[in-house]
Amino acid sequence: MGQKIELACIIDDDKIYVNLVRKIIEIKKLSENLLIFKNGLEALDYFKVILSNMTEDKLPDIIFLDLNMPIMDGWEFLGEFIKIKNNFDKKITLYVVSSSIDPRDLERAKSFNLVTDYLIKPIELKKFEKIFDKVA
Amino acid sequence: MLNDLQLNSILEDFDIAYWKINLLTKEITWSDHFESLVGKPSLEEPIFDFFINKVLHKDYKYDFRIAFDNLISTTDNLNQEIKIKIQNDKYRWFECRNLKSKENSSKEIAVLLFVNIHQSKRDQYTIEENFFYYRETAEMTSTGGWYIDGLSKSIYWDDVTKRIFDCPKDFQPDYEERMRFYATEHQQMAISMFDKCEKYGIPFKIELKMLTHHGREFWVVATGKPVYSDEQEIIGIRGVFQDIDVNKSNELNLQNSLDIIATQNSRLFNFAHVVSHNLRSHSSNLSLVAQLLTESNDAREKLNLLDNVVDISDNLDDAISELNSMVSHHGLLTKERSNVSFNKALDIVVAATSSLINRERAKIISEFTALKEINYIPEYLESILLNLITNAIRYKHPGRKPVIFIQTYMANDQCFMEVSDNGMGIDLEQYGDKMFGMYKTFHRNPDAKGIGLFITKNQVETMGGSISVTSTINIGTTFKIKF
Repeated sequence: MGQKIELACIIDDDKIYVNLVRKIIEIKKLSENLLIFKNGLEALDYFKVILSNMTEDKLPDIIFLDLNMPIMDGWEFLGEFIKIKNNFDKKITLYVVSSSIDPRDLERAKSFNLVTDYLIKPIELKKFEKIFDKVA
Repeated sequence: MLNDLQLNSILEDFDIAYWKINLLTKEITWSDHFESLVGKPSLEEPIFDFFINKVLHKDYKYDFRIAFDNLISTTDNLNQEIKIKIQNDKYRWFECRNLKSKENSSKEIAVLLFVNIHQSKRDQYTIEENFFYYRETAEMTSTGGWYIDGLSKSIYWDDVTKRIFDCPKDFQPDYEERMRFYATEHQQMAISMFDKCEKYGIPFKIELKMLTHHGREFWVVATGKPVYSDEQEIIGIRGVFQDIDVNKSNELNLQNSLDIIATQNSRLFNFAHVVSHNLRSHSSNLSLVAQLLTESNDAREKLNLLDNVVDISDNLDDAISELNSMVSHHGLLTKERSNVSFNKALDIVVAATSSLINRERAKIISEFTALKEINYIPEYLESILLNLITNAIRYKHPGRKPVIFIQTYMANDQCFMEVSDNGMGIDLEQYGDKMFGMYKTFHRNPDAKGIGLFITKNQVETMGGSISVTSTINIGTTFKIKF
């Protein structure tokens, strides 16, 4: 593992899961910083602020997006994010991470160009490292 | 007068064969043409016996012999249709009649003519046969014909139509009362259909609910076409009614079963979703903790991770009891229906939610006079009211105190309840189809658990009813339940 990722982002309402992932990232030193949002809307608001301030250094290199969340779920977030994504120069890798094993969810996630892959929870530690490695 | 020869050749030209009978000697002579038709008589028996035994079809032997005897003894006129075997051994139809004697003609000679009527007889059979098949088909398919005379304003029904409508055979439908045979909800459609056909000549084919003479509802396919006069004006409508009640009710039953299966399926799907999401997310967290535990060497870190295990176990417990409550909701059908008063059910719900109602200073107005009680499972009615009321309060308009109006009524022999509020409303365009799904929360309200409406819909449907919603943003929402 040569260089670390600057900024990773987790959009998920499951506090325990977020805590655990935070721990993994700390222990394995996968990313310098971590952004955490409880639902799609919080994340979207953040990206809109960045867009209006043009401070691209605050953009994450990688996003882990949950599907089932209150207020704005992962699908709605994807729908909104597509509209603003092209305004950013920075390459952002987005993974959908869900505990849903419904093949229809998988199909639908893959139909979005900006979704790199669909990961089913739980993700193994090794897989986490590989993903961060690839992006970095 | 024509002589025999001339007469003979004329008769032959017209393909007419004849017998000449000497009334005194009873001697019979066949014309050449007759002989060429049936062949020469044998010499062993009298010519008449030969005709009766070898030429005439046996069905006519008896009648012909009597008529022939009458002719020669009393000169009664003979006129019969008979079948005769001609030379190729095939039977042909002939009309047999005597040449009427004029006053000056000889009383000693009778002439019996044989006219070939085979073709016309066959045509007649074909028509009779066709008519028979038409009748049978009409009977078997329950298809009745009708005609509306636009000029005399009268209606003609054939026998099958009368039978379809359970009418006596001598029944005469009255033009002015013709709409009484159409189910109320289809009268308008029928009127416009007949109107268009009568005015513009537009034919129709349509499935209709109709009523018999005694008012029984049944389904028909009605087909109608305009009838034009020689001047190309529409003078009436002709058509058929086909009774498709059996097919239609089968179709409706099938659709009904399909709906039930689809509902069950969507319930199962929702259930699988909850299992997949809720249970799996906890188990996957557990697996993450386990992985971290094996990786970590720090004792303090391990203790911290163990705290997570406690949290996960609590959440898992919650999820399982929630699933359990859903399953037991579905199982509630074993509970018995009884007559439930809407007032009583509402009182119970208001008492149970009094703290919420008081805190939000919500006002609940009820109007149950049109329908005071219903045969239902009491727990379901309470649960439905509870969910709809708390829903209305939870999604109140931020600038208004919540007002909830609950009304019951009857329409078309069906029981209805409407629960309306003055809340924030919801964009049905965007969320309409998801409204009653599980774990769907549409408002930016973190308290929302998104299970209430799912359960409400399930309860209503388990009892054989349906629920629908109308809403306007910033005005309010109305839930309508058909019991």
